[in-house]
Amino acid sequence: MSEFIQLHMLVSYPPSNLNRDDLGKPKTARMGGAQRLRVSSQSLKRAWRESEIFQEAFDGHLGIRTKEMGWQVYRALKSGQGLADVLAENESAPVRPAIEEKKAVAWAQQIAGRFGKLKKPKDSKDDDEKVDPEKQKKESLCVEQMVHFSPAEIAAIDDLLGRLAEGGKKPEEKDLELLRAERTGVDIAMFGRMLAASPAFNCDAAVQVAHAITVHKVAVEDDYFTAVDDLNHRDEDSGAGHVGQAEFAAGLFYAYLCVNRDLLAENLDGDEELTDRGVEALVEAAAKVGPKGKQNSFASRAYASYILAERGSEQPRSLSVAFLKPVEGDDYLTAAVDELRTTRQNMEKVYGACADGCVEMNAATGEGSLDEVLAFVTGDHA
Amino acid sequence: MPEFLIVRLYGPLASWGGIAVGQYRPAESHPSWSGVLGLVAAALGIRREDVAGQAALRESYHMATLVHTEGTLLRDYHTTQVPSATVKKRAWPFATRREELSVPRDHLNTILSSREYYCDTLATVALWPMVDDPPYSLAEIAEALRHPAFVPYLGRKSCPLALPLLPQVVEGADLYEAFSAVRFPDQEILADIPGRGDSGTLFWDSEGETGFESENTYTAPRRDVPLDRMTWQFAERDEHRAQVLVPEGVR
Repeated sequence: MSEFIQLHMLVSYPPSNLNRDDLGKPKTARMGGAQRLRVSSQSLKRAWRESEIFQEAFDGHLGIRTKEMGWQVYRALKSGQGLADVLAENESAPVRPAIEEKKAVAWAQQIAGRFGKLKKPKDSKDDDEKVDPEKQKKESLCVEQMVHFSPAEIAAIDDLLGRLAEGGKKPEEKDLELLRAERTGVDIAMFGRMLAASPAFNCDAAVQVAHAITVHKVAVEDDYFTAVDDLNHRDEDSGAGHVGQAEFAAGLFYAYLCVNRDLLAENLDGDEELTDRGVEALVEAAAKVGPKGKQNSFASRAYASYILAERGSEQPRSLSVAFLKPVEGDDYLTAAVDELRTTRQNMEKVYGACADGCVEMNAATGEGSLDEVLAFVTGDHA
Repeated sequence: MPEFLIVRLYGPLASWGGIAVGQYRPAESHPSWSGVLGLVAAALGIRREDVAGQAALRESYHMATLVHTEGTLLRDYHTTQVPSATVKKRAWPFATRREELSVPRDHLNTILSSREYYCDTLATVALWPMVDDPPYSLAEIAEALRHPAFVPYLGRKSCPLALPLLPQVVEGADLYEAFSAVRFPDQEILADIPGRGDSGTLFWDSEGETGFESENTYTAPRRDVPLDRMTWQFAERDEHRAQVLVPEGVR
């Protein structure tokens, strides 16, 4: 038995082409025998996990991103201080023997080199400017691209530094292998990873995301467009420099996702605080972030208009049956909210309780709030 | 009197995978043994890497499926952005997807695949023991389906169930009696699924009589017996099918 958090959302997108097929058309599906607009689950997940919301929520917790780890490792070796203290600029006492300059540089380079290509320091011969040797040394210890280090990994490096300092010998190949051990990111814990080649890094996704499908019938429309060449002064002809066709459609989507909270916590090594922060970031991203396809043409940014969140250990189920019969009329949103509520009630009537509790947020009527939804999904757990 | 566990499978999209090699990921219109077994294993909390647990399930139960409507085929064009092999080798494993894609643009490649789904498909599935001492009683499986350990889905994780499975354990001399003994109180909710009628297709894997009246039985091999969830290997089994009249209770 696990605890599930289910999110049912209604999101309205103006004319747009968020998620395209191989012909450049918006993706579609049939539901209840009628054509609907569709945004694939993969497309939604990509938008969420790439969002600033995700990044900001986990930046502190996921360790640090730096090009300078080699430099910090050198400083730790040279001073004998713990790596975490060096990174935090703490004035701490040495915890192990200090390593002499030359060895510290060489070992730090060896370690940093495992995380990326080492920078080539500027040579004073290339330039008339005098190069500061300290700056040159620092540069020789940095890698070219940002590398992410998790707290566990920083601890693993520190552990290695301890062993190197005690043994006084340079790191062996197998010592450096250790640095590549476990480092599961929050988004991998949520959306999983499957690798035939290295199953040790596999992770079963704790979050299930359905394809978002419109609650109503949709006909995809063609936009025939022309572009006039700015340098055409109509001396010879006044025709368009380019003609093309773009397909688009607008729709009110039903989106559904389900978090297996127990599995998410397990994937995050039982870190409850990080699990809650993950759920919170996911729900906020789902409410505020959508796929970015063709944004320059359509500027179709949208926030969820309605959210229903549920929690419980009963078998999760989406409420898409509410829209098997396409919604009609001149107020899709109100009709869709009604359908969703009625279906949920009817389902509870015929099957018994499908969740322990739920909260709603309705941006059309101003009822509820995203904060309330976030508090609900991260509230006390059974 | 033999016992049967009966559940109903419905979701707007389902993807019961067929033989998938390379970029073409086909789906079949009716549940696979591997898909249903996976759903049951997930509910019970039996993990993919638990080879013995998976094998015990596989070797202990029979499955029959009554497909009310197979729905319409959907082919999804899917692209995935990945860093080039050299970048991957150097920086593997990445902490986040964002980091994986933060390499210079010309180091990113696109992988194409074509994935199939079925829209508007509805099926009722029966499970019953193949051996005298199955690892779980049908009642235990039913309880796990009501309160699962991992989320059950229709072949692919992006295909959630859109109705409770409503597991029911019933007695019956044969499949026909079992299917006739169950009741699903959701006929109203499912009224708008197109193509539902009196007739359906029954698929089963046992040699005994089904009790259904059907004139033609057709048998074909299907490669959907999961041998190893980690290496993704499957064996063949014989699957029988016949056009039948759907009993009132599940119609």
